[in-house]
Amino acid sequence: MSALLVRAEGLGKSYPKVYRSRDRLRALGRLLLNGANPDSISVLRDIDLEVRRGESLGLIGENGAGKSTLLKLITGVLTPSAGRVTVNGEIGALLELGAGFHPEYTGRDNIAMSAALHGLDAAELRERLPQIIEFADIGRYIDEPVKHYSSGMIVRLGFAVVAALKPDLLITDEVLAVGDESFQKKCVRWMQDYLDAGGTLLLVSHSMYHIQKLCRRACWLRAGEIVMQGDVFDVTQAYLAYHEKKSAPAIIEEKSSAAGLEFSVADVALNGIRSESPLILQWGDAMRVSARIHSRDARTPALAIGIIRVDGTPVYGVTTDMDGAIPLRVSDHEYACEIEFEALALLPGSYTLRVHSMDPEGVRLFDTAERSFVVRGTSRETGLVRLPHRWKSELGMEGPA
Amino acid sequence: MPSGLLIYRFVGRELRNRFAGSIWGGFWALFQPLLQLAIMSFVFVRIFSARVPGLGAGDYAPFLAVALWPWTAFADGVLRATTSIQENAALIGKVAVPRELLVLSSVAASFLIHIAGFIAVVLVLALMGTGIRLSGLLPALLLYVPLLTLVAGLALICASLQVFVRDLSQALGQLLPLMLYCAPVFYDRMQVPPDYRSLFDLNPFTFYAETFRAILLDHGTFDNGRLLVACVVALGVLLIGHVLFRRLKPHFEDFL
Repeated sequence: MSALLVRAEGLGKSYPKVYRSRDRLRALGRLLLNGANPDSISVLRDIDLEVRRGESLGLIGENGAGKSTLLKLITGVLTPSAGRVTVNGEIGALLELGAGFHPEYTGRDNIAMSAALHGLDAAELRERLPQIIEFADIGRYIDEPVKHYSSGMIVRLGFAVVAALKPDLLITDEVLAVGDESFQKKCVRWMQDYLDAGGTLLLVSHSMYHIQKLCRRACWLRAGEIVMQGDVFDVTQAYLAYHEKKSAPAIIEEKSSAAGLEFSVADVALNGIRSESPLILQWGDAMRVSARIHSRDARTPALAIGIIRVDGTPVYGVTTDMDGAIPLRVSDHEYACEIEFEALALLPGSYTLRVHSMDPEGVRLFDTAERSFVVRGTSRETGLVRLPHRWKSELGMEGPA
Repeated sequence: MPSGLLIYRFVGRELRNRFAGSIWGGFWALFQPLLQLAIMSFVFVRIFSARVPGLGAGDYAPFLAVALWPWTAFADGVLRATTSIQENAALIGKVAVPRELLVLSSVAASFLIHIAGFIAVVLVLALMGTGIRLSGLLPALLLYVPLLTLVAGLALICASLQVFVRDLSQALGQLLPLMLYCAPVFYDRMQVPPDYRSLFDLNPFTFYAETFRAILLDHGTFDNGRLLVACVVALGVLLIGHVLFRRLKPHFEDFL
């Protein structure tokens, strides 16, 4: 077991209730007399958390769950009201947009300021400055006051500074979302290299894609408490399932309105399971999708099946019409259809399956049902699917004679 | 403990903030006091014909100047530092910066600016052939050490209380001029009715006003006993400020 980098025990944070200025005076009196701070709103309770060197932990949860507060407690920006937190190393934190940047100063001056705050001396700064400016890649804006920057440029600058520090523990709070595609990729690549080199990462993100890509472990916070902690796939799946359940009433409503459609998806089961929570498959397992379609006019519907990755990338789509398959008639208005993918070629990750009901001609789309599933496995291949392949060990076999 | 570089950067930041956007920048730090000296000499000496008993007509300007510039450092230092935590709320909420640094760098910046002005004024007055003893400049600068200590203590107290009670900076804006008029800066203690003279010792600035004059103008006497008392008071205030600040700083974030 590697060394413990962060340890939080019974950590809690509450904010005093101050609505009027008189409350402030009373709070001051209490603080001076006995150090206690009553009348408070608790935002974080009983957090026990351990992060070891070389680990990567993703923090997920809804808005207001206490993720940012937890990060601020770990970085020492906030003082805990209960419990304690110990950190044995240098922290590089990117907590909020433009954290600590002075709007009137140029990017260059702000880099110097941030570097000093992180304990870099003048020589180290001189050495790393070109590297920082290159990483930020904001051109001539480096000599403009930060107040003229776009939010993306501020994040670029902030990340560039933290990247140059090579801290023991890197903490970022949903800042990547602001950067453009290429910068996000650059940051993700940098974080992967950093993790490969033994760095430790604490990441808050609403993008399960980023969390799953960068973190081995995840911690799910809800209303200031840890709901679940453990393997990143288990936690993110549970979290997504929770969200699906939360938005379930809306789906039921859709269904009732869908009942009036000419063709509606009445039921979908994955490998015979109807649950809303994601199906877990091992790499190479078979997946069977069974769907029932309600047909208002008793005409035979067509069916479309689509698989997309959790980030929205389409992977595969096919219809009964294309393959010349015809859904089975169960009763006057009910049709059933089943499709089996034997030895699913999808690489480990989270996916969504969509079932669409269509008119008999396979032209118009009427209704959509979604199910999510996870492919588990330890493959290090990249991309979406494993393409059938074979390495040739001898070169020039087919070469010109 | 904040590193030397961090302190340097923060004081630099403070100085730049004060002159931010002005074309002449730091030049104002020297030009302003000289302009002020000219205006005051004109108003007090020419219009009011202000005189201190026992001193000539031309002696009023240096009499006032050597006490007024230390006062400006004192008042500016306390007043600006009082709001330093509040004004840096954005920084405090996002970066783990030592809180004391914000207060103390504000005080340091005030003193750097006003000591520079003080030196300029003393040199100009000496060149004009007033009764200023240039050999007193170095001891006068040393006298800024206990003054700085006192202001640092007051600044820590006021800055931490200001976070909770926002009225403090408003009240200080009124209290500080009152303190100025109740110190022998514009006048000499000997001009005050005898019954009230000893009350002036309650004002911490009285000692500094009188001692700067004793050092630079040979006006009044330099008293080692009073210097000792002033140093003890300054250290005491700094200690109180330190304890209070340390007690309250974990809660700043909650009240900003």
